[in-house]
Amino acid sequence: MALSLSARNVVKRYGGVTALSNANLDVNAGEVVALIGANGSGKSTLSKIINGVVVLDGGQLLLDGQFMEFSSPQAAKNLGISTVFQELSLIPQMTVAENIWLAREPLKRGGVIDRKMIREKSDALLNLFAGTYKSSLHPDVTVTSLPPDEKQIVEILKAVSFDPRLLILDEATASLDSRQVERLFELVKRWKQEGKAIVFVSHRMEEIFRIADRYSVLKNGVTVGTGAMKDVNTKDIVSLMVGEESAENAVERKKAVAQNLSGSSVELDVNELRTDFLKGLTFQLHKGELLGIGGLKGQGQRDLLLALFGDLKYTGSINFSGELVHFKNTRQAMNKGVALVPGERAKEGLLFIRSILENLLLPSWGEYGFPTRMRKARESANRIGSTLNLKMAGLDEPVTGLSGGNAQKVVIGKWLLRNPRLLLLDDPTKGVDVGTKAEFYRLLARLCADGLSVLFYSSDDEELLGLCDRVLVMHDGNIRQELFGETLTKSNLVAASLGASRESMQ
Amino acid sequence: MKRITISPPVAAVLLAIILFALSGLLPNGFGSNMLVARAQAVNILRLSVFLGVIAAGQTLVIISGSEGIDLSAGAVVTLTAIVTYVLVNGNDGRVLPALFAAILVGAAIGLVNGTGISFLKISPLVMTLGMSGVVTGMILIVQHGNVSGAVSPIMTKVIARPLIFGIPGAIIIWVFFAGLMWLLMERTAFGKNLFAIGTNRVTARLSGVNVTAMVLATYALAGALSGLGGFLAVGNTGVVFINIGNPFLFPSIAAVAVGGTLLSGGKGSYWGTMAGAIVLTLLTSLLTTMQMPDSVRSMVLGATLLILISIYGRQQALRQ
Repeated sequence: MALSLSARNVVKRYGGVTALSNANLDVNAGEVVALIGANGSGKSTLSKIINGVVVLDGGQLLLDGQFMEFSSPQAAKNLGISTVFQELSLIPQMTVAENIWLAREPLKRGGVIDRKMIREKSDALLNLFAGTYKSSLHPDVTVTSLPPDEKQIVEILKAVSFDPRLLILDEATASLDSRQVERLFELVKRWKQEGKAIVFVSHRMEEIFRIADRYSVLKNGVTVGTGAMKDVNTKDIVSLMVGEESAENAVERKKAVAQNLSGSSVELDVNELRTDFLKGLTFQLHKGELLGIGGLKGQGQRDLLLALFGDLKYTGSINFSGELVHFKNTRQAMNKGVALVPGERAKEGLLFIRSILENLLLPSWGEYGFPTRMRKARESANRIGSTLNLKMAGLDEPVTGLSGGNAQKVVIGKWLLRNPRLLLLDDPTKGVDVGTKAEFYRLLARLCADGLSVLFYSSDDEELLGLCDRVLVMHDGNIRQELFGETLTKSNLVAASLGASRESMQ
Repeated sequence: MKRITISPPVAAVLLAIILFALSGLLPNGFGSNMLVARAQAVNILRLSVFLGVIAAGQTLVIISGSEGIDLSAGAVVTLTAIVTYVLVNGNDGRVLPALFAAILVGAAIGLVNGTGISFLKISPLVMTLGMSGVVTGMILIVQHGNVSGAVSPIMTKVIARPLIFGIPGAIIIWVFFAGLMWLLMERTAFGKNLFAIGTNRVTARLSGVNVTAMVLATYALAGALSGLGGFLAVGNTGVVFINIGNPFLFPSIAAVAVGGTLLSGGKGSYWGTMAGAIVLTLLTSLLTTMQMPDSVRSMVLGATLLILISIYGRQQALRQ
């Protein structure tokens, strides 16, 4: 049955905080609607209202013209609304199949779970993404052993297994590599033709333009614009999202980092770096250079950064600032001026229940003497906070209260406080709003101009193309290609990510 | 609308004051005699010191997270009490060496705990429980249940008797000790890193904190504090017995919890633990005064712990 869902003038408050004050969204069968907004604009809340996780405080929800009030996520599911959550809803210790069919396992007569049926149905689902898996993903592996992108795929398949009429994809592409995104988009097109309605929540402008038919932009809990994608360009959308003033910087980031490295010395010289996964990497990073690392997710980028930071055992030689080093732990690396912004902000970058102050000073407490000179520590924290334009109620507030972009500023800030010589970035703009991204790009430009060397892994190709003069594309634990100057193009980047040789592209 | 929330340490202090006031109303309580009330209050505080010092180590390991706990604290207290008793042997001149020995023995046992937890990846519960058994066994083998020794006059004088203005030395030691604990936890890199590893060890490691060294140091320090506790405990009782330390074990964990330290780690204070130690000591002595049997006492203590922890848990849920 064709679906039409419409949220009108939706209001939602959490305690004293108004998450949504006037949100609107219309979605019909056979179309993809992009729900766009900066972090904290309320798009997650709005999608949670549509799928019944959260109950609205005002406004109305119409499903097929009928006034609706979902009492639970289950009620929404029964009406054909299914969600791919940004925070995965999988149980790590259970297998892929068990997760997908959790609490609604097909049964044989007598109430015994029909394993054969589960197996067949799961195989059919997994086939949707066949060919994009790095591991041998099959229904009986436990979810905990999967890399993040494949966990995300299982999450997508779980939502799809309900055969929903409306599918909400909440940042579903955030941890997928470009090949997997490609496949997902093919599937979305197919589902669209089958008459499903799709709500697509994403930060990636390029994806939105590729897949969405219509858009709905939220800003501070208010829907500020809706319309057809074909009538707008990136700049229009960004203007709606962040307001007029900073829209320019958000898109015009091309070559924000002007690089003139002809005279600069080699800061980092890596030779035959091997770990369990890395197969002998050799490359150089100049002083003041912003060197991009590209490639699909999980091709060894994380291992490379962790090895350089002393958190992973390796063989091979690393020459840093003209000195042969072999860091055995992160502390040694840190003391030599290496800093790492890890890929999982919440799990690896922040101390959630502790204050902003303690998060910012975590690597540096030793430098404030005994007893710790708190006033000096607070001054440093405030200084770095204002440098980064960190929006906070106070240094003693818990870091939990910050939005994604501001939280990432804390992670970066704790390293800038130490004036590092080498900054390792593991997909630092993931889940960060456009405004903060633009600030971040300007910051990188400034730091590089001051002589900081940066190794920058990003899952966003546009970002690498826009910021870097040189990109190392990784594939299967190797540097597949080094792209720079004229060879640094989107098609080369994608081709190298997929492991295609340059000859096959000609 | 502003919600009034009472932090757990404050709640524990209020509870202690109410309990104390109530104890005065008992048939054999202090009634309106303020001199007796003061004497009783001082006595309760004095008795809280031993639990308070032993619970200090417990506070540190619990804050260090990853299911951190020290179940060997009771056995270490007994062992170090015996060490003190034997080494001092009635001689004032040997008090300081005995104090160092007690702390060192405690630290050594704690270091073994930390080693097992860090390198052999044994869970703290299992490691320290096993260590408790080993230490108890060692005590039995070495001493065959007989210990010959004595505390010295100066120990009794400083720990058990009034020192200045009628305040027992133990309380003065405790106040000084609490200041050091605060410094350690709030004004040193060690303290800051302790809260960090208790909150998230991956983040701590990726921020340049040497987590292994921190865990080793924390358990060693906890052992050392149990050693100090053993020294003080024997100085108070004047005699040593095989069961001197064990009765402190459960209350040392309970005091930490009552003081509002998160049992999952990463959040807490020693000042809360002090308040917890006072509440538990007060409750015990109150029940003793009321001539309750042991069974009732342990039931009331257990129930108090459960009630307080569930209240704290609820407060936290409301704030989120």
